[in-house]
Amino acid sequence: MTDALVLDDVHKSYGNREAVHGISLTVKEGEIFGLIGHNGAGKTTTLRMISTLLRITSGSIQVYGYDVAKEPDKVRELISYLPEDAGAYKDLTGRRYLDFIASFFATGAEKDAMVQKGMEIADLGDRIDSKVDTYSKGMMRRLLIARAIMPSPKLAIMDEVTSGLDVINAFEIREIIRSIAASGVTVIMSSHNMFEVEMLCDRVGLIDHGNLVLLGNPEELKNQYGAKSLEEVFVKVIKEAEGSE
Amino acid sequence: MNHLVNIIKKELRELLTPGSVISVLVMVMLFAGLGGLIGGEVDKAKALPVFGIANWEDGDIVLDDGTEWDVYTYFYTIYENAHVPASEIGNYVKKVELTGDIHDVMMENEISALIVLQDDFGDQIESIMAGAVGVYKPAVYQYYLYEPTGMFGSVSSTTVSSLVAAMSDSLSAFLIKSSIEDKSQYSFLSHPFYYGDEYLNTVVNGKECSGVTPQAIASAVSSSTMMIPIIIMIIIMMVGSIVISSMGSEKENKTLETLLTLPIRRTSIVTGKIVAAAIVGLVYGAAYMVGMSFYMSNMMNPLSSVGGDVSLADIGIVLTMTDYAILMLSMFLAIVCALGICMILGAFAKNYKSAQTMTMPMSILSMLPMFVIMFSGWYGSGMIIKAVTFAIPFSHPMIAVQSLMFGDYPLVFSGIAYMAVFAAVSILITVRLYSSDILITGLGQSKAVQRFKKGRRPGAGRSWMRRASRNIRPRGTFIISPGRLSPR
Repeated sequence: MTDALVLDDVHKSYGNREAVHGISLTVKEGEIFGLIGHNGAGKTTTLRMISTLLRITSGSIQVYGYDVAKEPDKVRELISYLPEDAGAYKDLTGRRYLDFIASFFATGAEKDAMVQKGMEIADLGDRIDSKVDTYSKGMMRRLLIARAIMPSPKLAIMDEVTSGLDVINAFEIREIIRSIAASGVTVIMSSHNMFEVEMLCDRVGLIDHGNLVLLGNPEELKNQYGAKSLEEVFVKVIKEAEGSE
Repeated sequence: MNHLVNIIKKELRELLTPGSVISVLVMVMLFAGLGGLIGGEVDKAKALPVFGIANWEDGDIVLDDGTEWDVYTYFYTIYENAHVPASEIGNYVKKVELTGDIHDVMMENEISALIVLQDDFGDQIESIMAGAVGVYKPAVYQYYLYEPTGMFGSVSSTTVSSLVAAMSDSLSAFLIKSSIEDKSQYSFLSHPFYYGDEYLNTVVNGKECSGVTPQAIASAVSSSTMMIPIIIMIIIMMVGSIVISSMGSEKENKTLETLLTLPIRRTSIVTGKIVAAAIVGLVYGAAYMVGMSFYMSNMMNPLSSVGGDVSLADIGIVLTMTDYAILMLSMFLAIVCALGICMILGAFAKNYKSAQTMTMPMSILSMLPMFVIMFSGWYGSGMIIKAVTFAIPFSHPMIAVQSLMFGDYPLVFSGIAYMAVFAAVSILITVRLYSSDILITGLGQSKAVQRFKKGRRPGAGRSWMRRASRNIRPRGTFIISPGRLSPR
């Protein structure tokens, strides 16, 4: 399988404070990769570096062979980033918002088809023509997922994608992620929901204080730590780390 | 009661941010400076005028009874009574030789007002007083050099006109003292020389305009140009608010991160925001211009007859099509400069509320040149005010209106060149900011701010502490799988 994403000894510093300490990992094409870790561990910073939003202090990130630092424009053509708590332009309707985003990727009939696909993913019915500021959190998330997926990115980067959603909405969004991965899209996502990560992800990486301290298949990690769930693995690893300090 | 105090404290903490306090302080300083500016202009207007007298040697009148009255002595006495030292009176009332063109003479002598006595002024009055037949009373001509020096710029010419009128009264009083039996001479005695508007000339752009007072020109220029600084100020404030608020909204609504990861160049995002705000600013500006022109025409019409109708076109103060094109270029560049500054400020806005606070410096920067142009004008300002006004890019279209009217093209083009450089630099800085982390992380994560915060912490600066901290192993450095971790 092709390497969709390669992080090589990636560091990120904010002034004198280093937030990410030399993370290296590879994500294969079509894989769903989960980044887990407690708040402030460096997950969002890592995802933002992959998304070209933050500059890499040292090391390198490659997306389908394109260097994020040297060819950010090429990388942006391949990725779709969905930040945590992302919003949409409140004065637009859902349809207009999708149309606005689609216009950066296609024109004419191709763009119309992309918008149609987005509307199908969002599945908002008549409310697609309502203004975005009238949407509930679940509806907004569905619209944003649709926005992220409709251009058929090669790499989807999703930060806390189901955070704060009710059971039904969270379930449906997980189904969407599963289906796009099945169609060949590589997904890297962060989440605090270990149940979700265990169900969805082919592999997970645990980040603690900017270091990648654990990497593997959820089943293998459970066996390795003699745990019943990924959540238990998470707790054991973090406690081990705290104990060693 | 404690709950109320808690709520008040919380509200005050939110409202009295460093940004809002600084804005209020700057506003206070601006108005204090403005008061000083107006006060300075009023003092200048109140100061004794400097003027020249030509043919002053013809102003000596000796009557048959041996009494004497002299024009120069008359003015000398006025300044002496105003406690001007005798050695300095010559600097106020200058004896001028008419060696050539009036304009050149005035420029050479550094005077903006010149009183010219008709040849044989004194002899003619003496002849009339002696009862000579066929001798007409002489005239006193006034020449003024028009300078576009703001609200009080034409006051000195009014004072000189008053001095000429007072001279007429003084001479009249002197003549009446001598006994004249011929009642037909009473009109001569009350007005011994001609000096009305028909004997008054104002030099504008090197051209003599007869019968036009500097006040009338100042009034006409002011009514046709005062709208421009106000409109430019409004446009700058509006486009500034639009751009900064747009950035604040992007951050508050969490749409900026999405926008920055779309396949679109940062320069396109910056340009798109600038162009859209410029279009809206120009539309608003045009709407205000139309509205204010109605307002001004209705306000000025009833007053126009008071100051005397002066057609600027008749006296050669007109803007050509080329001038309008230059003015539009100047306005366009001013808007681009404003947007450049706003994009930089907007990059630091955390949300819509902080964006609103950040519009304050823009408002101040646009108000300052407007007040300077209105009260003292570019040409009437001192060096420091000129330097500050020139440095603010939005000043230049405000200055350009009058500069173009009076043919000062070097000033207009230097302003345009300055704005072009300013706009280029501000856009370059904006693009760099949009490519940096600051847009996402804010200022709090920048090295400079962290160094500042570190410097404020107790014990900061103790080098042994810093050395010790380097030796402490950061948490979580026990990497389980060093090197690249690939799927099996």
